[in-house]
Amino acid sequence: MSELLRRFRFALCYLALAALCALGMASRHGPAELGFAPKLVLDLTLPLERMVTLPISELRGVWDDYAALVGVRVENERLRDRLARAEEENHQYREAILSSERFQKLSGFRAQREVPMVPANVIHQDLSPWFQSLIIDQGAAAGIRPGMPVITDSGVVGLIAGTTPGASKVLLVVDPQSRIDAYVERTRARGTVRGTSGHDCDFDYVLRQENIEEGDLLLTSGLGTTYPKGLVVGRVATVDRKKSGLFLGAKVVPAVDFSRLEEVFVILEQRQIPGEDAFSSADEGLWPAAPGAAGAAAAARAAAKPQVAAKAAAKPAPKPLPKLVKPAPAPLPDHPQDPPE
Amino acid sequence: MSALLRLLGIGLALLLAQAVARLALPVVVQPDLVLVYALALGLRGGVQGLVLAFGAGYVEDVLCGGPPGLFALLCGTACATTRLLDRALYLRAAAPWASYVGAYALANFALFGAAQRMFAPDTAIAWSELLRRAPGAAITSALCAAPLLHLFRRLLVDADRDGSWPVLATQSPRGRP
Repeated sequence: MSELLRRFRFALCYLALAALCALGMASRHGPAELGFAPKLVLDLTLPLERMVTLPISELRGVWDDYAALVGVRVENERLRDRLARAEEENHQYREAILSSERFQKLSGFRAQREVPMVPANVIHQDLSPWFQSLIIDQGAAAGIRPGMPVITDSGVVGLIAGTTPGASKVLLVVDPQSRIDAYVERTRARGTVRGTSGHDCDFDYVLRQENIEEGDLLLTSGLGTTYPKGLVVGRVATVDRKKSGLFLGAKVVPAVDFSRLEEVFVILEQRQIPGEDAFSSADEGLWPAAPGAAGAAAAARAAAKPQVAAKAAAKPAPKPLPKLVKPAPAPLPDHPQDPPE
Repeated sequence: MSALLRLLGIGLALLLAQAVARLALPVVVQPDLVLVYALALGLRGGVQGLVLAFGAGYVEDVLCGGPPGLFALLCGTACATTRLLDRALYLRAAAPWASYVGAYALANFALFGAAQRMFAPDTAIAWSELLRRAPGAAITSALCAAPLLHLFRRLLVDADRDGSWPVLATQSPRGRP
């Protein structure tokens, strides 16, 4: 027996290690705290890697700042032209924002607090060309938790995939594991932005009849628990209207240049979707009572409950619920943020 | 022990070199140095080489955003395959070794795609994307293979002389007494 084990030691060892790897891959369920071994590997290798890659990054910076400036005059002219147009658009946006703020105040929907954020430096880029992730120098000690969104002033960077006390792994928008529910700012057409492991993303599940064009801006829809609404994801690069099928194909260029990313912000807020038990039943109204202003309404409903129950008991048979009538949609005004033709 | 430490050092150096290559080279011509390391460990044979290959893959797993265990499995498989083929093919000279590494790097893309579809199908990278990147990466890996083998020999020759580990790249297991 021992002779047999000795003879097939290599094969048995390979099978055992391969099974461990398969188990590791199969048991992966989304972002989570990193275990002891990954933390140890990160702590040991990151300082070394930082030491080696820092000069390369600096050299690239020197190259980009001084040597690669051929054709900058033409680009300057083009940018001046774009700036003039952008200023005009900006003026319109400001007007639109003021209108929107007034509307939000009237509706009582405006958020009254600032979103807490933590700035962090990028200290590592993904080793593999297949996956797109970063490691930043802030971790669980700064309040960062897996699943929190990461942004820059340009737009969405990704989400926290794992944390150690002093560092966090960020899964980028362009990683094949990344999915973001987004909509086109101009037409409100919705779809899912999916990473492709390259420099761009796919915009999936957009109906063929939707009106989207090259250059359209994509924003996060706010659905789900990760990204707040209205963050810039990128711009539509190409649109492929296929001859058949429900959906069209589109490529998206992310708003953030990940190869030159140095600082990011982590939004320290994890949005939560209320569970089934948070929604009240039909006799309690359609929506759960919010604390604060709506508390009085909830108390009133609770006080009225025995009367409702008594009335229901007195009646021989319950009346059927009235049918909900969907109001006819009001005509939409022209989009205030559309740039002039 | 000395050979083991040197091998660990080589592995760490190759990981760092890969990080530099990732920054400096376009994605279609980036060599997979960790794979070359795992393949070279297959030439040494033995369980220690296999564990080192899995370990190198595991470190790559930790440092990248892929499913944990994917690169470890690929590197371990590369090491085991080399050990198996080393008995049938002559891999211990520069040209055959480089050809073998290039061919295996191509095959590794197929294994990568298959493993992703098997264990993490929702995050699998499209075959077209794999095919786009495979040729350039295989060629650069093959170009790096021979110098790296030479480096292995130079660094390990002293440690191998004391008999603490079988001699690397001098004769195949078949030829040993």
